[in-house]
Amino acid sequence: MIAAMRRIDPLAWLAVPATAYLAFAFALPLGLLLVKSVWTADGFTLASYVKFFADPFSWRVLTNTLKIAFLVTLVTLLLGYPVAFALAMSRGWLQVMLLVAMILPLSIGAVVKAFSWQIVLRRDGVVNRFLEWTGLIDEPVRFLFTETGLVLGAANIFLPFMVLPIYSVVRLIDPRLSEAAATLGAGPVYGFLRITAILSLPGVVAGIAFVFSLSISMYVIPSLLIGDRYQLLATLTGRSFLFLRNETLGSTVAVILLIIAIAVVMVSSYLSNRLRSAR
Amino acid sequence: MEQIEKSERASMNRRSMLRFGALAAGVAGFPAILRAQTKELVIGGAASHKPWMDSHVIPMFEKKYSCKILYEGTRSTINLEKMRAAKDKPMMSVIQMDDPVMIQAVEEKLIEKLPAAQIPNLSKLRASAIHMDGMWANYQAPWSGLAYNTKSLASGVPSWTTMWEPRMKGKVALPSLQNTDGPWALYMAAHLETGKPLKDAQYDFEAGFKKLRTLKSSLLTIYTNLPQSFNLLEQGEAWIHGTFSSYALLRKQAGAPVDLSAPKEGIFAMPSGICLVANAPNKDLATAYINEMLSAQLQAELTPLTYSLPTNLDAPSTVTLPAGVEVFAPDWGWFTKNRTMLVERWDREMAI
Repeated sequence: MIAAMRRIDPLAWLAVPATAYLAFAFALPLGLLLVKSVWTADGFTLASYVKFFADPFSWRVLTNTLKIAFLVTLVTLLLGYPVAFALAMSRGWLQVMLLVAMILPLSIGAVVKAFSWQIVLRRDGVVNRFLEWTGLIDEPVRFLFTETGLVLGAANIFLPFMVLPIYSVVRLIDPRLSEAAATLGAGPVYGFLRITAILSLPGVVAGIAFVFSLSISMYVIPSLLIGDRYQLLATLTGRSFLFLRNETLGSTVAVILLIIAIAVVMVSSYLSNRLRSAR
Repeated sequence: MEQIEKSERASMNRRSMLRFGALAAGVAGFPAILRAQTKELVIGGAASHKPWMDSHVIPMFEKKYSCKILYEGTRSTINLEKMRAAKDKPMMSVIQMDDPVMIQAVEEKLIEKLPAAQIPNLSKLRASAIHMDGMWANYQAPWSGLAYNTKSLASGVPSWTTMWEPRMKGKVALPSLQNTDGPWALYMAAHLETGKPLKDAQYDFEAGFKKLRTLKSSLLTIYTNLPQSFNLLEQGEAWIHGTFSSYALLRKQAGAPVDLSAPKEGIFAMPSGICLVANAPNKDLATAYINEMLSAQLQAELTPLTYSLPTNLDAPSTVTLPAGVEVFAPDWGWFTKNRTMLVERWDREMAI
């Protein structure tokens, strides 16, 4: 036993406080949640899961959650990918400005940002005025309390979580690789697709994992931007505990949400490893 | 000489140590001293009541009783949940919430009977303001109708059917069934669908949901947080907003472009209750607070601030109910029994 402990890297002991904290404040409550979802007065049962998946409304909530998470991830990827390159390629004060612009919004709470989006998305808000000015619409379009409004607001809030992982990978890509490809006759598009884009994939996978996990579990943002009429797994969990007093349903929904989040992290981790070994 | 210097240094060290010790004891003991001097009373209530609680009730009570009030403004159902969670050691002493939630609190033994000896103003209330043998009492009675944006709908909302008009597409905000004023739309929809009087229509939720399904295109949102949602009405994003006098008319008085209509089919009574939490901390202070809230003087002062009718028979009222429309008081007992079922049904029927 002592010999085994001696073999452990002494630096590993530095992780003990954080591990203990996470075990107590995170793993233990999750374990209790799992137990609550399968343990009733009659003992062990999976009835709550069977009931959940037998209810068409549950499938609707599940579909809403996955759909919104997918759309938010897609929008942040489309917007964030070029931003990450701009960030990596810029130098001096411009890079500092871009980094500040990306990181500073993280200091503002999601509630404040969601409220701001309520104002932006109004019929007389900035988005509608801009669209009217461009001539794309003749009269104001309703964005508030719609899926579009929720995706726009959530994508804005989660954008840094897509940009920063991609940026951290892109900045390490050796620029001489593109130059070498060019000297060998590759055009800029071919060179980008076959070299730069592939090398940036680990950052993309990490960004997708971050944003997707955040999007499927968001609670405050949908409450403010789309309201109670659009139920997501996270809002249904809160509703089950706080209002319906159905702790079994709340635990079941929370566990399903957790399983999806873990699956996303595991798949992205697997893909990252595959991409790393392919390189 | 050297000996004297050493002795002085030692003495200064001792003095410094003593000074430091005294300072540390003072700093460490200070919060305890503060706690001993100032009693705290934690009160739960509606988020929409916070403006007049902060501006009027809390300063008056804190000054009169040399105490500190912490007011937790949220939904009645959240306050109920807080009471359940802290049943053995409650933080809150008094809760101001609506009658249907009070019934649940009584059934779960979360509140205790108001002690008449410590709350003499109980005897001065009208009989209908005291419930379940004194488990709680009403300190005011607002009424609920349909609020509207005066810039968008200059002539108001003459009928509940206005919400179904095509021009109202995406312009109506209604309270969730989780809110106390949530059932009004369901009851009125049942009345409009069946033609039955409200006293019978309130039980016909199938007809209510059938009619409400046809309202979905008019809905902007269904809210649980009134102040947050009411902004939409004030900004013109919503044109009609279900709510009650103690909030809508207060906002009108503050200059917001809103007013409250009493549609011809009827309006709803929204009695606001006050109760004593079971095993409440600072019980003497809590009963003193309840007594103040039920006093003729405070109710007379609150009436113009809350646009609600007083419940103390000695309190003069400057507020009157709208004339010529039915003021319906629902069967809260039935609603409380069926609330969870109705909310689950509402979630499904009204979902986007």
